[in-house]
Amino acid sequence: MSEQVHNRLAMVRAERGVSRQALAEAVGAHYQTVGYIERGQYNPSLDLALKIAEFFELPVEALFSLRPFRPLTDEVYGRKR
Amino acid sequence: MTAGQQAVKVTGHDRRMFALMNREEGAALYATAARRRFFVGAHILMTVPWVVCWNVVVFGERQVWALVATLALLLPWCFVTGVINSATRGLLELRGRVLDERQLAERDRARARAHRLTSGLLLAAALGVGAAGWLGDVQVEGLIAPVLVAVLAVHWLMPLWVAGLMVRDEPADDPGGQFANA
Repeated sequence: MSEQVHNRLAMVRAERGVSRQALAEAVGAHYQTVGYIERGQYNPSLDLALKIAEFFELPVEALFSLRPFRPLTDEVYGRKR
Repeated sequence: MTAGQQAVKVTGHDRRMFALMNREEGAALYATAARRRFFVGAHILMTVPWVVCWNVVVFGERQVWALVATLALLLPWCFVTGVINSATRGLLELRGRVLDERQLAERDRARARAHRLTSGLLLAAALGVGAAGWLGDVQVEGLIAPVLVAVLAVHWLMPLWVAGLMVRDEPADDPGGQFANA
């Protein structure tokens, strides 16, 4: 049984202007796999999650979390919930 | 071909097959679940008469119509097989070393489901042949070869049918793609 892993991959990828194909090639995955991860239909292995984080030069917890991410504007501007 | 795949020993054949299975020309054919179901259904509907005709040709009275039907069904059958393989991106055709972790997991799932279904069909076939011999006035020996061929076909093709039905829709939007300079 696997738990839902939330991620910000689509947002970060769009922000950096990286296509699914380019990211997939960089981390050794199929481009569909990147799409499925973004849609929450596939939870990546630790190995793949770390490779993706390394590609974006971000800590893995900035991209993947067991809890839903807060909206980025809330984090940046500090709105309390 | 991905960087990860290049780290392991990937042959020219692997590259050609990977490119073939990931061509986009026919993507519209299998873009929706309904279309994929249609092609899997069509494949099953073509396989059944093909196996019957083949049995008639080999074990039956070698009638010409059966040989003609066997050959006539071959081309559309190959085309539909290609469509299903493209839909799965070669999940069952490509070697494991060119598949990523998600594809390997999906291939294992498809094979496990196919194994369960085939086991059920084998049981049904064994019981059916046994019942035909026990209750009916049928020479069971004559049934063994045709049933064996049918079971072989199902055993061979069930993973393809299951994998074809398991395919999910392609993620349509690519927010990074429109800005990508890579």
